[in-house]
Amino acid sequence: MTRAWRRWLAGAAALAGALAPLAGSPYGRGGAGAVLPVASGSGSGSIDVAELARIVADQDDHVSVVELARWIRARRPGLRVVDVRTESEFRIFHIPGAEHVALEALAQTRFGTDETIVLYSEAGIHGGQAWVFLRALGHRRVFFLRGGVREWLDDVMSPAIAADAPPEALAAFAEVAELSRWFGGTPRWIDRAAPAGEAEVRLARRRGC
Amino acid sequence: MTAPWIDGDTSGAALATAAGCGVAFGAALERAGLGSARKLVGQFYGSDATVFKVMFTAIVVAMLGVFWLGWLGALDVSRLYVPETWLVPQAVGGLVFGAGLALGGLCPGTSCVAAASGRVDGLAVVLGMFAGVLATGALFAPLRGLYEATPRGALTLPAWLGVPYGAVVLAVVAVALAGFAVVERRGARPRAMVEDAP
Repeated sequence: MTRAWRRWLAGAAALAGALAPLAGSPYGRGGAGAVLPVASGSGSGSIDVAELARIVADQDDHVSVVELARWIRARRPGLRVVDVRTESEFRIFHIPGAEHVALEALAQTRFGTDETIVLYSEAGIHGGQAWVFLRALGHRRVFFLRGGVREWLDDVMSPAIAADAPPEALAAFAEVAELSRWFGGTPRWIDRAAPAGEAEVRLARRRGC
Repeated sequence: MTAPWIDGDTSGAALATAAGCGVAFGAALERAGLGSARKLVGQFYGSDATVFKVMFTAIVVAMLGVFWLGWLGALDVSRLYVPETWLVPQAVGGLVFGAGLALGGLCPGTSCVAAASGRVDGLAVVLGMFAGVLATGALFAPLRGLYEATPRGALTLPAWLGVPYGAVVLAVVAVALAGFAVVERRGARPRAMVEDAP
């Protein structure tokens, strides 16, 4: 390749790179329905109330924190976990792999039709409202996280079960405990016969160094 | 019509596409001379910048292609698979990969190219690679904790840095062109001296 030809290619790359910031986002242009249309500026949409009521009644509108933890660990293709709390709350703690999108910015955010969107908030209310917004905008594969971050902290990061629980409950808890450890949590088997506070002491010891 | 034209679950078409991409990738590596362990190891010693130039050129071409094809509506960028980030296992894997590359002089792609070109060292690295894959599979149970540690999801530079996609494109192009200019200048000096020598 001649020097002149290399310079020409470098110039073309420099021009394409220099124009990129001016061009805007490459997401959602064309796409033939792959990215859902959002009414410009207003973010307007429509709701089929009967359909939404059926989805809610069938409990197909949400996922549990344990189910979401399974999806994340299994690296479910197309999974997109969206935190709709404030930026500062997101910075303090967020579910691994989640992205922050403020409620007001949801309508302007592009989601692919092959993506599975899970919305969460502190306790689930804003997550549920965000679910309605995205359904109104035409998204189909969208869920909200029941119980939000609080339930995540309780049931994934520090799940607990009574040590004398029925064997089938203990067996089911073993999987939750494994999930919890995977996310850096601390599962607890609480001995109800032990004096008050002893379980917590044992927990503190297990953390070690 | 918008790319990609196949769905991920049509495994036959996806495999055929992957095979086609693999052959094209191998042919490009061979044309660039990366079937030679000397060229690859030369990168570590600073005596040959072919790897840097070929790989960074591929990154810039692919990045500009994805960005502008997406912008023009010819490619649905949201359907491209972004590999998830797992900080600790990927850092460990990178170190193991780098050590193997420095020792063997070839990486997985270039070892296949070297083996296909009839080089014995390429064949040895391919066999070593498969031995490593088998050993990792056999030892997966104790390695599982490391394998699944520190998940960060599908991170992209624009999302991670919180800057527009186009700004990242410009920055990467600028870094690449500056890098090319530097290695070209460094590479030109000794060559000129040799040519000037009596």
